[in-house]
Amino acid sequence: MISPVKIWRNQKKIRLLLSLTGHILSFTKVHVPPAGFESQAPYAVAIVKLSNKKNYTAQLVEFEKKHLSVGQKVKTVLRRTREAGEEQVIPYGIKFKPID
Amino acid sequence: MKTAILGGATTKFGELWDVSPRDLVKQVVKQVLSDAGIGKAQIQAIFVGNMLSGTLGGQDHLGAFFAEELGLTVPAVKIEGACASGGLAVHAGVLAVSSNIYQTVLVVGVEKMTDHKPEEVAKALMGAGSDVEREAGATFPALYALLARAHMEKYGTTEDEMAYVAVKNHYHASLNSHAQFPYPVSLEQVLKSPVIASPLKLLDCSPITDGAAAVILSSLPAKQGSNPKINIIASAIATDTLGLAEREELALLKAARQASQKAYQMAGISPKDIDVAEVHDCFTIAEIIAMEDLGFFPSGKAANAIKMGKTKLGGHPVVNTSGGLKASGHPVGATGVKQIVEIHNQLKGIAGKKQVPGARIGLTHNVGGSGATAVIHILAKE
Repeated sequence: MISPVKIWRNQKKIRLLLSLTGHILSFTKVHVPPAGFESQAPYAVAIVKLSNKKNYTAQLVEFEKKHLSVGQKVKTVLRRTREAGEEQVIPYGIKFKPID
Repeated sequence: MKTAILGGATTKFGELWDVSPRDLVKQVVKQVLSDAGIGKAQIQAIFVGNMLSGTLGGQDHLGAFFAEELGLTVPAVKIEGACASGGLAVHAGVLAVSSNIYQTVLVVGVEKMTDHKPEEVAKALMGAGSDVEREAGATFPALYALLARAHMEKYGTTEDEMAYVAVKNHYHASLNSHAQFPYPVSLEQVLKSPVIASPLKLLDCSPITDGAAAVILSSLPAKQGSNPKINIIASAIATDTLGLAEREELALLKAARQASQKAYQMAGISPKDIDVAEVHDCFTIAEIIAMEDLGFFPSGKAANAIKMGKTKLGGHPVVNTSGGLKASGHPVGATGVKQIVEIHNQLKGIAGKKQVPGARIGLTHNVGGSGATAVIHILAKE
């Protein structure tokens, strides 16, 4: 499902999304994960309006309970996204981190 | 437009471990042919609604697969549009018949989900979302939880109000022997069930289900004696962005609004003319949003209306008499076809204990992904 070439292709887009700020439009805490995310559950997912005017969906990390709210300011960071597949290539992607 | 429904049938929905997809289709086609009073030789084309047979079962090419099973060599195709696959297959059947290329066609929706581990099914269903959503680990409950949170923020919708959708649909399912969960649940049971993706709890979510449903569509009128005659008088589809982040608004589904407006226009009716509706309550919040998208209640007012029982048997319009996806079950490719069967039975007056007295016009609302595809059908008694 996630071949090394697909990871390589998608990772070229990531740098354009680094170090952007934004605010949470909606959020949820996922308690029942899909395959590949079992070790991370429960984890928070948010839709964020970024400073480049676009919305983006990603996990929220390094947060406290008070940060799980609509309007919370966040910035984009680079993190491992899921378990590596059979080829052992580690997939990295964008996540959000709260800022005050 | 007018396409006659000659017959409809569904299998029992549930965890059907002793039944294969072949058996499900064989059973349901036998029933639908008998309901329509025709032989299989009269079927001129087959449209199969299914989402996951390739991903989960390793079997694609379902048109030929089921044609072989039925002993037919007529044109046969699979239609896929995530959880709207069944509704899209009905739409394809309507187009086929109204083009006059085929007179009589079989539409069958089928899904076999419970053979597989829940994590695998959750991952497979995520094929209906965007790559960014998959990378975030946003399951389908998570995507609808994001819609729910947006609706709560905008309109003050509460978790209690969402729970009332499950309570109502379980009550309706308790009157439906084909339902996966043919029993009522209490408000407390829903609110105390474990969290899946906050604010959605287990009993806010539709289950993983096996099942099949079928209809026979025709440009020929139903045979004499099969009164009343039921017709599809509108069939409309709309498409929105695949991912939620690309949407302008998160407290509604634009595709459902567009498709329903097109359908009302096609049928020459308005929302208040609908007596009975089957809507895509994959999660409780989805039924609240559907009521607003379909124009049954103004935006922000549906949750309280459902709580007050306005869409329960005895109210108007009555919504999800089958128990909906929530309690009747959600075999994804079969759901859109099952909705047509339920409304067909309601208009025919053969819906049993869950019959809406005097129902004349009904609607089905079938959604794919988190709202990227919406299919609306309107059915009327002749």
